[in-house]
Amino acid sequence: MRPRPSSPGILVLRQAPLILFAAIVLLFGALAPKFLTADNAINVLIQAVPTAIVAVGMTFVLLTAGVDLSVGAIMFLGGAIAGKLLVGGQPLPLALGAILAVGVAFGALNAVFVTRLRIAPFIVTLALLFIGRGVALTITQTRAMNLPDSFLQLGATRIAGVPLPLMVLGAVVLTAQVVLMHTPFGRQIYAVGNHPANARRAGIRTQRILAAVYIICGFCAALGGILSLAQLGAVSPKFGEAYEFKAIAAAVLGGTSLFGGRGAVFPGTVLGAVLIQSIETGLVILNADPYAYPVVTAAVILIAVLVDSVRNTALSRLTQRRIRVDA
Amino acid sequence: MTHPMKFFLRVCLLAACTGLVGCQKSETTSAGTAGAKPLTIGVAFETLQTEYWVAGFEAIKADLKKRGHTMLEAVSDGDTNRQFDQVKNFITRKVDGIILVPKDAKTCLPIIKAANAANVPIVLFNRPADKSDAKSVAVVADNFALTRETVAYLVSEAKKAGRKHKAAILIGDLGDINAIGRRDGFDAAIKGSESVVEVVARIPTEWNQEKAQAGLVNALQASPDINFIFTSSDFLLPSIVSALKTAGKYHQIGMPGHVILGGFDGDATAYQLLKDGYLDATGVQDVYFEAAQCIQAVIDLRAGRTVPDLIRDPGFVIHQANLQQKAAQMWGAQMSKK
Repeated sequence: MRPRPSSPGILVLRQAPLILFAAIVLLFGALAPKFLTADNAINVLIQAVPTAIVAVGMTFVLLTAGVDLSVGAIMFLGGAIAGKLLVGGQPLPLALGAILAVGVAFGALNAVFVTRLRIAPFIVTLALLFIGRGVALTITQTRAMNLPDSFLQLGATRIAGVPLPLMVLGAVVLTAQVVLMHTPFGRQIYAVGNHPANARRAGIRTQRILAAVYIICGFCAALGGILSLAQLGAVSPKFGEAYEFKAIAAAVLGGTSLFGGRGAVFPGTVLGAVLIQSIETGLVILNADPYAYPVVTAAVILIAVLVDSVRNTALSRLTQRRIRVDA
Repeated sequence: MTHPMKFFLRVCLLAACTGLVGCQKSETTSAGTAGAKPLTIGVAFETLQTEYWVAGFEAIKADLKKRGHTMLEAVSDGDTNRQFDQVKNFITRKVDGIILVPKDAKTCLPIIKAANAANVPIVLFNRPADKSDAKSVAVVADNFALTRETVAYLVSEAKKAGRKHKAAILIGDLGDINAIGRRDGFDAAIKGSESVVEVVARIPTEWNQEKAQAGLVNALQASPDINFIFTSSDFLLPSIVSALKTAGKYHQIGMPGHVILGGFDGDATAYQLLKDGYLDATGVQDVYFEAAQCIQAVIDLRAGRTVPDLIRDPGFVIHQANLQQKAAQMWGAQMSKK
């Protein structure tokens, strides 16, 4: 007899990422009681916000079996332009608008190359990574730019006691979740990721869907960049470096497939981003040996991906429908 | 459907663009100085992604121009293979010498051997190579000694306060020998003064400002009484300032709650913070000395003169007491004027 989809075994398997997250939090909590304080929880959440927002955008792209390696470059280029504007005495809203415009423009550029010229997303976005960073380095002349205090205040602002970065994350996640789960556009994204040819045959304008996800990803990268700058208060030549890997890791840790068609922003991607930040924070609180950081972080990611892989195999086996052929 | 050949050509075109963007090459030429034969020197930097490397690059360029030599330049953006190709290109163009900033101490060995095989003198700027049969000259700051001296000054300031301090160190990339030298210099300075300074946080930053900021915020969360911070590079100072401001601990020297703050490099931000009275001290690498020594080493090797394998930049510690006197030697102070 096969278990029902609601049986405890399947429920446990479905919640594997959440269970792993809880296990890591409890482990750090046991080793360092300060890790389990409310202050630390808020600190971890605030620090995870930029990664989580960039990873939300990345999830849209990954769901279509694509990838966007240019997100870190978008963050840097947007930051560089905004920094120049602010240092030149321009108002903060103009600088923020410029960052978002860079994100949308780069997303649109990626979309044109992927959909019109049909070049592999990996190549296109890798090229734009180098172009973006190159242009940003030229703009900054490799100098660090200290942003005015108004930018830092953005990160420290609280509305009704809730930190602004958390409110922005909440709004982004809510919007993304509603779009993906409750709109025809969201369902079409999954359809394109599952089987592009079938999606096309079903009348879905796949090129439009692809273009949209790259623009969304560019926008999210820019927004994540703003919130990261609001914590950092400066644009450095390495700003945004390797963010693409962090975002992809967060999405994959949250259960998004690199092959498209499977994954969710909430709790999946958000959980992945918070998990990555929790490990980094936990290691600092433990005053761990600096050499242990990459080992522990990579080991947890590997375990999470392994658990996810085992879970998917088991789930597909347990929930498989059988067709009985009567003789 | 896209034609496979067209698709292939597009991919090749984009891949070529990708490779070219990170590799900037140009020539700086000027008239030769009277009496000396103008040389052509290839200058290959691994990166220009911090102010220090930009300052070094500009210092070499200006010094070569002043001496009347021609400079071929290349930046490999962290790609060792690309740097190898760039150096081979220099050799093909029959340069008289090469000044190299390698990515690390090991991967540069084949590059040095290629230069040795072509009988082209090669001098490493600020990053030495591992010991091997490959022959090169390295001009480097004494990271260990300079850091130890800087941190010893910070410890003496802590002693003056008459109470125990809790310290955090921001460590650079653990694969960078300079970062390791600075970490060891920090440890050596603290050793024996544990009753004054207790290290409660060792934060790996991978030379990344975001990691530095997040790491320090976390450390301040775990140990809110941290009041002694050393950064292995001044380019992480904005991250420290941001974290201290968030924690309400950013106060000038002499004010209650001031966090003793020290760094290494001597960049423009460090100079500003020294002037503003927030930074206690920083170890300054003498970029102009290092640039001049690199060029002189190439010239001497070309002329068959003996040059030691390692030329040390002694650097100096700049702090509130000697700021006026030493500022003119601080490269960050010069850059801040631009």
